[in-house]
Amino acid sequence: MATERYSFSLTTFSPSGKLVQLEYALAAVSGGAPSVGIIASNGVVIATENKHKSPLYEQHSVHRVEMIYNHIGMVYSGMGPDYRLLVKQARKIAQTYYLTYKEPIPVSQLVQRVATLMQEYTQSGGVRPFGVSLLICGWDNDRPYLYQSDPSGAYFAWKATAMGKNAVNGKTFLEKRYSEDLELDDAVHTAILTLKEGFEGKMTADNIEIGICDQNGFQRLDPASIKDYLASIP
Amino acid sequence: METLLGIKGPDFVMLAADTTHARSIIVMKEDQNKIHKVSDSLLISTVGESGDTEQFTEFISKNIALYKMRNGYDLSPRESAHFTRKNLAEYLRSRTPYQVFMFVAGYDPNAGPELTFIDYLANALPVNYAGHGYGAIFASSIYDRYWHPNITQAEAYDVFKKCIAEIQKRLVVNLKNFTVAVVDKDGVRDLEPISAASLAA
Amino acid sequence: MSILAYNGGCVVAMRGKDCVAIATDHRFGIQAQTISTDFKKVFHIGPRMFLGLTGLQTDILTVRDRLMFRKNLYETRENREMCPKPFSAMMSSFLYEHRFGPYFIEPVVAGLDPKTMEPFICNMDLIGCPNAPDDFVVAGTCAEQLYGMCETLWKPDLEPDQLFEVIAQSIVNAFDRDAMSGWGATVYIIEKDKITERTLKTRMD
Repeated sequence: MATERYSFSLTTFSPSGKLVQLEYALAAVSGGAPSVGIIASNGVVIATENKHKSPLYEQHSVHRVEMIYNHIGMVYSGMGPDYRLLVKQARKIAQTYYLTYKEPIPVSQLVQRVATLMQEYTQSGGVRPFGVSLLICGWDNDRPYLYQSDPSGAYFAWKATAMGKNAVNGKTFLEKRYSEDLELDDAVHTAILTLKEGFEGKMTADNIEIGICDQNGFQRLDPASIKDYLASIP
Repeated sequence: METLLGIKGPDFVMLAADTTHARSIIVMKEDQNKIHKVSDSLLISTVGESGDTEQFTEFISKNIALYKMRNGYDLSPRESAHFTRKNLAEYLRSRTPYQVFMFVAGYDPNAGPELTFIDYLANALPVNYAGHGYGAIFASSIYDRYWHPNITQAEAYDVFKKCIAEIQKRLVVNLKNFTVAVVDKDGVRDLEPISAASLAA
Repeated sequence: MSILAYNGGCVVAMRGKDCVAIATDHRFGIQAQTISTDFKKVFHIGPRMFLGLTGLQTDILTVRDRLMFRKNLYETRENREMCPKPFSAMMSSFLYEHRFGPYFIEPVVAGLDPKTMEPFICNMDLIGCPNAPDDFVVAGTCAEQLYGMCETLWKPDLEPDQLFEVIAQSIVNAFDRDAMSGWGATVYIIEKDKITERTLKTRMD
C-alpha cells in the first residue's frame, strides 16, 4: 500500500493541461551542449561540442557521438548519464531486431522504439523523463535518414537541424545554408560552421565530435580528420 | 470406451452420442447426455476424462454465452470451434490439460453447416463425417459407403442407425443407448434416441 | 512412435529458375486411421510466400496462427511486406524460444524475395535450426523417400512447367511408399507475376 502511494508517475498534468516535468526536461536539453545534424545527397553528418570544464580532463575519454549499429549513429544534447542509458538500450534494440529477423534494423524502426522507450519514462511510476534530445542518423533503403527524439517521446525526421544551446540560431543558420544536393564533405563543413555560430573559445579537433554515415556505414571521425576539415575553414 | 458420431449434410449437422457413464468396469448410469446445446444454433458433444468433459464444455459454453451478452450476437460456429481449439491447445501445454474429445456442430445462416472434429491434443479439422472413441472405428467404413454430399436428415439418421447397429454387434463394450441431435436453419433439435430396442423394432 | 508422425503428412519445396514450388499431401490421420483427406499443410502467407508445416496437427495450426500474428504485427509496424528471409529468421527464433517444450512440427518456407525476386527455400527442425539450400527441402513422414525422389529428379534452372513436373512426380512417388502420407496432393508454383495452384489426382488407398 505504502509503495503504491509513492509509485504514481512524477509526470502529472498541471491544471492548464501541461506536463511541466517535460518542459523542465526540454529546458535541460536547451541548456545542454549544442549538436547538429545534416542530411547530404550521399550521406548524413551529426556533430556536437565536446568541451571540458578543465584542461586537466583526459580528452577523448567520453564520447558524445556513438555508433548504435553498423549503419546507425547517435548524438545528444542534454544530460550525459541519461544519454548513456539510451545508447545502451538503442544498441540492445538493434541487436534484438537482428537476432529475430537476421536483418539490420531499419532506422525508422530504431527511432520508433527508442522514442517509445522515452515515452514510457513519462508515464511510469518512480522515474523521471530523460533529460536529453537525441539525433539519430542512419543509412538504409539506399538513402540517409536523420531523426530527432525528444524527452516526451515525440520524434521528427529532419533534413537538417540543431539542438541544445543556441539551437534557434543554429537552425536559422542551417535554413540559409541548406541545399538538397549538398555532398557529404560539404555537409560536414556546414555542420562545423553551424557549431561555430556561438562557439565560445577556439574550436579545435579535440573539442568537437563528428559522426558521418553513408552507404558504407557509420563512423566517428578521428581528431586527425576533423583537423583537416577545420584547416579548410578560415 | 464412449462413442461420438457426427455427420454434416448440405444444410444440417447431426450428432449422436452414447449415454453410458462408466468407471473402470462398472457402469454408473445409462442416461447421461453428452450432447450440449450451447446456443440457438450450436451443439458441442464431448467424451473423454469424465470430470474434464463437464468442466471444459461448461467453460466453453459459458464463455460463448458471455460473448453473446456482451456483444448482442452469437459467435459463429467457425469462431466457436476456433475458440474451443485455442483454449484446449493452451491447456494442453499447461499443468492441467483437459482430456476431452469433441465435435463442435453449428449452423451459420451465411456459411451454412459446420462440423469440427477436435481431439484431446487440440488437433482440429472441419469434416463431413467423423467419430470419436472405439465405436468410431466401426463407423468410418459405414460413413465412407453411405455419406454423399446431398445427404438428407433422414438418410443421416439412417446412417447413424447402421453405425450403432454395428457398434452394438461388434464392440465388446455395451453401448445400449444413443441420443441424437440435429442443428439446421431452424436451430437445434433432439431426435429420437437410437437404442438396441429401437433398432430391433 | 514419434509424436511428429502422429498425424502423418509431408511437404516438399524446390527452387527453379526464377521460381519456386512447394507441394503438400492431403492426409490427416490419427496414427494409422485416416480421418480426413483434405487437410493441406501449406499456407499462403504472403503475396509470394508459402509456409508448409508437417508434424502434429494441433501444433501445425498453433504455429501457423502464432507466426501470422507476429508477421502481421511486423507488417503493420514497419508498413512493408515481410520477405521470406526475415520470416524464416523470425520462425527460427520463435521455435527456439520453445527449446525445452517444443512445437512438434517441421516447417518449410518457400517464396520469392519481393525486391530482388530471388527464389528462397528453407526448412528447420522443431527447435528452429535453419537450413536454406539452393536445391530442395523436404519434411514429413516420408522425408527419406522425398530425398530419394528429389535427388534423382531435380536439376538446376528448371523452368516453371518443368519444376511442376519434377515436384509433382517427387511427392507422389515418395508418399506412395508411405502409409502415413498421401491421399491427394496440391502443388503451388510461385513465379514473379503469378502463382499456380494445381491439385494432383493420386492413389487414394
